[in-house]
Amino acid sequence: MNIVTACSTKNTVDEVVKDINEQLVLFDAKLVLYFASSKFEPDYISRKMQESFPGSAVFGCSTAGEIITGKMLDDSVVAMAFNAEAINDVKIEVVEDLKGDGGVKKAFASFEKHFGTSLSEMDSQKYVGIILVDGLSGAEEGLIETIGDLTNVVFIGGSAGDDLKFTDTHLYANGKSYSNSAILALLKPGTEFTFIKTQSFCDLGKTLEVTKADEVKRIVYEFNGKPAAVAYAEAVGTSVEDAAKRFMHNPVGLLVEDEPYVRSPQQIKENGSMAFYCGVGEGMELTLLESTNIIEDTRNAIKQAVEELGKVSAIINFNCILRTLELKQKNLTKEYGEVFSAIPTVGFSTYGEQYIGHINQTATMLVFK
Amino acid sequence: MAGRIRRMIDSVIQQRAAGNPMLEKILKTKMILKGVNPNKFTLESDDDPVVLEKLERMLRELK
Repeated sequence: MNIVTACSTKNTVDEVVKDINEQLVLFDAKLVLYFASSKFEPDYISRKMQESFPGSAVFGCSTAGEIITGKMLDDSVVAMAFNAEAINDVKIEVVEDLKGDGGVKKAFASFEKHFGTSLSEMDSQKYVGIILVDGLSGAEEGLIETIGDLTNVVFIGGSAGDDLKFTDTHLYANGKSYSNSAILALLKPGTEFTFIKTQSFCDLGKTLEVTKADEVKRIVYEFNGKPAAVAYAEAVGTSVEDAAKRFMHNPVGLLVEDEPYVRSPQQIKENGSMAFYCGVGEGMELTLLESTNIIEDTRNAIKQAVEELGKVSAIINFNCILRTLELKQKNLTKEYGEVFSAIPTVGFSTYGEQYIGHINQTATMLVFK
Repeated sequence: MAGRIRRMIDSVIQQRAAGNPMLEKILKTKMILKGVNPNKFTLESDDDPVVLEKLERMLRELK
């Protein structure tokens, strides 16, 4: 086994780190990726995890719930360790300046120095990036757009959570914790890999064109020339007063070749505008979506990845907290966990997902052969 | 002036994807998420400076 997982549901940082270390003690880890409940003190868990694996690259973030092979968990720490055959090389950079593109360019310069190859020329089938972002920074769109402009290498990941407290989220690297930052990790896997982007929605064929918006603030003022809440309520067939009840079941999406990039409404403001969980630009034609079956769709997406690669040795799953909440509401977390029972898996419930862009109500997954 | 956006879309895809269909799809997705839908621009489309700047950035950053 070149990729293994570990998890702990113990109560203190010392106990958890000891527990995970004992599960991985015989494994020669080049990289340890971990996701931790926000109940654990951020600086301390980061320091202890790094000290526990002194010869390894170690990074991770806080969560709104954790995922490990076969199970969805809360209040735990989950980890995935890769040996040098699974990950030939890795470089981790922390971007502390999320405004502008200077932070990303500095990180990329470090990657280029480390790997000896320009990011603009790097082979996107040989390298892959993982991105973890402060889930309360609101900076994901600019960050992933800058990355996408600079390289063809795909960066996939999620926004850190804090167990629905919405006060602060944390990123872990270099034995320290960071907020209002992002971690970029550039990996050179020793095996093939692919991506899953799965969301469980169908297109209802109703278009909402964004006619007035503040993309940076993630607010839509008007759809189709009407106050956003009015147009949305009309589209779903309800009153403005009841429209917010439909958000989880009926988000909107930007269709790319019939595949939605989901934009989830967050709130109706007093002036009839709508706040979203990601940026929506003027001129975008969004379509009204309706939720389908998360379990079945996820199972099919994994089956497709297995068919594409021939076999799958590990999955890193960045699963939207809104999907987790829906699964909890429907009492389906056990079934969702079981979808991953045959494949070593690590993941967490995110405050946003990244794959090509910043998206909502989606699971983005990095899948290794 | 018209048509610069269409030509620039084709240029971005040609230079960055170099014939790789998977990269072409990813680039088109990146454009749509930026608010530039490649399917909506022809050689007759007006040269909107905001759209041109977004595309120029995609070319410039690779140089």
